[in-house]
Amino acid sequence: MERYVTNATKLLALPFLFFVAFFLVPLGVVFVSSLLDTKNLSFSLINYTQILLDQYHWEIIYTTFRIGIITTIICLLLGYPLAWYLVRVVRSKMWMRICIIILVVPLFTSNIVRSFGWMIMLGRNGLVNDVLQFVHLTDGPIRLLGTETGILIGLVYILLPFAVLSIGTALSRIDLSLEHASSDLGASSLSTFFFVTLPLTLPGVAAGGVMVFALTVSAYVTPAVLSGGKITVLPMLIYQQYSTVFNFNFGGALSIVLLVLTLALVVIANHIGRNKAEG
Amino acid sequence: MFKGLAIRLFGLVILGFLIMPLIVIVAASLTTTSYLSFPPQGLTFKWYASVLSNAAYLDSFLTSTLLALSATAIGILIGIPSCLAIARYDFPGKTFITAVFAAPMVLPYLVLGSALLQYTGYLGFSQTFFALLVGHVIIVTPFVMKSLSSVLTYEYIELERASADLGASQWVSFWTITLPLMRPGLITGSLLGFITSWINVELSMFNTTAVLNTIPVQLFNYVQYSVDPSIAAVSSITILISVIVITLLDITIGLDIFSSRQRRDRNP
Repeated sequence: MERYVTNATKLLALPFLFFVAFFLVPLGVVFVSSLLDTKNLSFSLINYTQILLDQYHWEIIYTTFRIGIITTIICLLLGYPLAWYLVRVVRSKMWMRICIIILVVPLFTSNIVRSFGWMIMLGRNGLVNDVLQFVHLTDGPIRLLGTETGILIGLVYILLPFAVLSIGTALSRIDLSLEHASSDLGASSLSTFFFVTLPLTLPGVAAGGVMVFALTVSAYVTPAVLSGGKITVLPMLIYQQYSTVFNFNFGGALSIVLLVLTLALVVIANHIGRNKAEG
Repeated sequence: MFKGLAIRLFGLVILGFLIMPLIVIVAASLTTTSYLSFPPQGLTFKWYASVLSNAAYLDSFLTSTLLALSATAIGILIGIPSCLAIARYDFPGKTFITAVFAAPMVLPYLVLGSALLQYTGYLGFSQTFFALLVGHVIIVTPFVMKSLSSVLTYEYIELERASADLGASQWVSFWTITLPLMRPGLITGSLLGFITSWINVELSMFNTTAVLNTIPVQLFNYVQYSVDPSIAAVSSITILISVIVITLLDITIGLDIFSSRQRRDRNP
């Protein structure tokens, strides 16, 4: 055992030191700063009470959450059928390969590039308005850029692949004999789906949903580009504090709120995944 | 069940939704007009020429490439010994250390970026290449380690032990057994790590400046106040690079991400 510890120390010492120096300590600095009063640098909870007691901040947190929840629901509703299509319907190997590349290329492209694509498409004379008018859903061009709808479209686009990958993995692991048994015993396709398949994939759906939600509430680039400065979400507020207001104490408190929120969600997601896998 | 026309149609529509913005960008970069237009008017490569003659863009491309390459290289140097220690030994605090190495994957990059701006400011090197580099190493390393630890299984430990039992020295074992076994994990991890660094905005934007900038951050700054086809051209170049990385991944490890089903179908 002792020899193991020395060997492990030799291998781990420098790498872990790097993570302590440039990961743990910086986060610790943010935490300590968040507990300091900007005026006299004494310990106080004033930054946190400032967030909690001010209606402006509540509204921003509410907007951030609302966008997060709507994005997550839409991603799951669109992601489940697409995952189903990929796992259960596609047979041709070549087409499957193309589908996976279409699914992964956006993940490997910067958020800014993808948001820029939607900026072009959502403009007054953009593709979306052209299509809407062509099918006579609207009479004239409608404003999409700088609205919550525009942000939602962009975020759903950016995060959909995460939902599909998570649900698709769950679907592909299902033992098909369970479904065969269900239909052999006389269940209709619909009841087999709702009583056998869907429950078996719920851990994947939950994990994907939590991941999408956590990524949505911490997304900065897409809301910043597609909001046109008209809508503010929590990450935009944090960026302002650090880059233009230079209030590291209040910015730190906002960071900690976002951090605790996302980490709590990740822990919950892992817990769901583990329980279902064991159960 | 459910293989009908409706699900096929739905699948195609959503796949179209996923690829459309990228097609629009590439098409818009070819327009002869001086404003963004889709479908493009005419066909020209002059926006690519204007990007290639723009020193600010070239500098950013160089910074981004250098940053992603060095962050990946350091990520590998950190990842290999750490993963070996975690795979080989049991030691106190193992769970905690493993969690710390994995944590940057689930942490909002914005929080890490702002933290590093403040922290490197105290240490006196904020808004330098080194400040960017340490942050990128932190976000690249978890991808390298995740891919590595998936190849360093129990069988690997057995092989390593066998080689030691047969009298191979530590270094001979490392070069002949460990490194070849790790190769697929290393390739996947480096490609994922490289792309993570290459596309990042939210971590970099705190420590970049007007003269020290990465491509995604520069695009972000431009898009905020002026859009012209040269931005579409730069974007298209980054899309091309992501396609290249994906092709490399497909060739080296295969992108059969939903493959367990096929195996089960073949042996019912």
